[in-house]
Amino acid sequence: MSSRRDFIKKTGLTAAGAAILPTILPSGRLFAASGNRSADYVVLVMFAGGVRHQESVGKRYLADAQPGQSAEGNLMYNMLTGAAPSSQILYGTGNGSLPIEPILPNSLQSQGTLFNEVRAFNTGHYGALNSILQGADPIGQGLRIRPVAPTIFEYLRRHGGYAASDVWFVGNSVGASIPLLNYSSHPDYGVRYGANFFAPTITFHPNSQTYIGDIKTYHPESEWAPMLQLKAFLDSNFSLSDQQLDALGNTTDEKENIKLFMKEMNLRTTMGTIDLPPVSDSADTYTMGYAVEVLKWFKPSFLCVNLNDVDVCHNDFTTYIKAMHRADHAVGHLWNSIQQIPEMAGNTTLICIPECGRNAEPNAIVDSNGFVSFDHSDENSRRIFALMAGPTTPANLVLGSEGSSVGQVSDAMMTVADLLGVKEAVQQAGYIDPSAQSFFELI
Amino acid sequence: MVSFKKSYPMTNTQELPNNTFSPKATLFAAAAATALLQACRKENDIFELETPILAADNSSKTKLKTNEQFINILYTQLFQTAPTEDYLGALSTILTSIGDQLLAREIVIANFFNSSDVQLPGNDVMRSDIGSFVDETYKNFYLRLPGAAEKAWVTRFIETQPDFTPELVYFAFALSNEYLFY
Repeated sequence: MSSRRDFIKKTGLTAAGAAILPTILPSGRLFAASGNRSADYVVLVMFAGGVRHQESVGKRYLADAQPGQSAEGNLMYNMLTGAAPSSQILYGTGNGSLPIEPILPNSLQSQGTLFNEVRAFNTGHYGALNSILQGADPIGQGLRIRPVAPTIFEYLRRHGGYAASDVWFVGNSVGASIPLLNYSSHPDYGVRYGANFFAPTITFHPNSQTYIGDIKTYHPESEWAPMLQLKAFLDSNFSLSDQQLDALGNTTDEKENIKLFMKEMNLRTTMGTIDLPPVSDSADTYTMGYAVEVLKWFKPSFLCVNLNDVDVCHNDFTTYIKAMHRADHAVGHLWNSIQQIPEMAGNTTLICIPECGRNAEPNAIVDSNGFVSFDHSDENSRRIFALMAGPTTPANLVLGSEGSSVGQVSDAMMTVADLLGVKEAVQQAGYIDPSAQSFFELI
Repeated sequence: MVSFKKSYPMTNTQELPNNTFSPKATLFAAAAATALLQACRKENDIFELETPILAADNSSKTKLKTNEQFINILYTQLFQTAPTEDYLGALSTILTSIGDQLLAREIVIANFFNSSDVQLPGNDVMRSDIGSFVDETYKNFYLRLPGAAEKAWVTRFIETQPDFTPELVYFAFALSNEYLFY
């Protein structure tokens, strides 16, 4: 028979235990987010496709790439500070001789911090994109399979409690396994913590409207709600594990909002009123226009957009420099548009980073201008850069130089985690590169 | 020279001798031969289709349909004709470009139902015999009959929702988890 003292002791211990034991939140995390969120909005541009260091941040244009050519200059004057080439202009519009006007009055470099020499982990596109999103060299990462380790999207949603429509990934195609990058196959993370994804060159292509541009609208109360009620009953008779369904966990309201967005995009695509960059003659610029529309509509805490057109450098150097010039134009448009969204203006951090570089030596392919082409596999392909701008980023700062790198590709993901308050959780999870750190820790 | 005709006379029915057996014997011989032939003949194989037994069992459905499978099956069910290869390929690619696959499928279904070519049972047909309609819908979408409790619940649900149309019933089934698996 227990005494009154025992009863009080046990009751007290139970109460203390209840207070101390972790609470499993709907988001799947054990504790409420404990990290300090220092930014409201973060946009990550995977400036991808394999950007050769020499032509990009090196500003060497043709001088280091093409035998017998000496033209130098900055092709990316929205992002980087420096004068454009003064001769041999082949990257503009028309026949290439008309450079695209800069969008930003001051380069992002002058507004933020440039990590001039950053180390890439991987020289293959898919592995390298994974190294950005996973914050690690993805050992064992195969092609055409989902990331093997958690991505930044999943860290944010699981540990930060971010809603599905608060985390977006916009890709420039459905090729090269890009649609697989919005969540990993990791059993503790996976689809339920994935990011929403569009590939606007497909999703919002005018031809696609033949197939999905005529979404029937149902009355939310008299039709849609009872339909969902019946569906819920049917689902209750079919048991599934969490990971079996390819469902991101968008709520009914979020789904309806996404459908409204898609209708709006289809309509405005037809009307030609999408907020595309002034020059939008490429997949990258087209993609960026819709990424801007996602920002305007959802104002997500985190958006990652993937560019890829520069990969043409495998066989066409002239088109490669045009693509690089347009990717810079797209980033300028992105930053300019962000400053016109009231909630995001002055309150958004932008991070741009290529996934890998390109070789020092050319391959055997010569384009129509007689320019040699470049693949990506050697040590030079590990030379990349990173550019940051935002309210907490030091302005006009350049770190690192050839032979003295500062930062590595995994740091981009850690910087996002740092800004959005999940850095400690990411570190504790144990799947990132051991030396990965936020770029802010390198400044 | 050997005479061929002499040694091996050619058969000529006109030259055959008259039948020396009585009609009774001939009849007996024919009957015996028939019986013998019948006894040696292999029995005919009879191929029949067994009536499939549809049970209220969904436990064997463990594989998620691909986008192509989902579109192909649903399109054929709703339009009573198969989609073209081009249509199937294009719509599958579009589905791949949308991250939330459940949402993507919802959009596909909502587009199908906006087509005037969709073949749906009329509301009066459904209302005239809801039980049969429920059976048929389960068979069409799930390839099984409903369990007693399932049938009772869905029937009651339709009865108590006068504005609920066959289209909405089909939408719920097409969007349900079980329909996504095979």
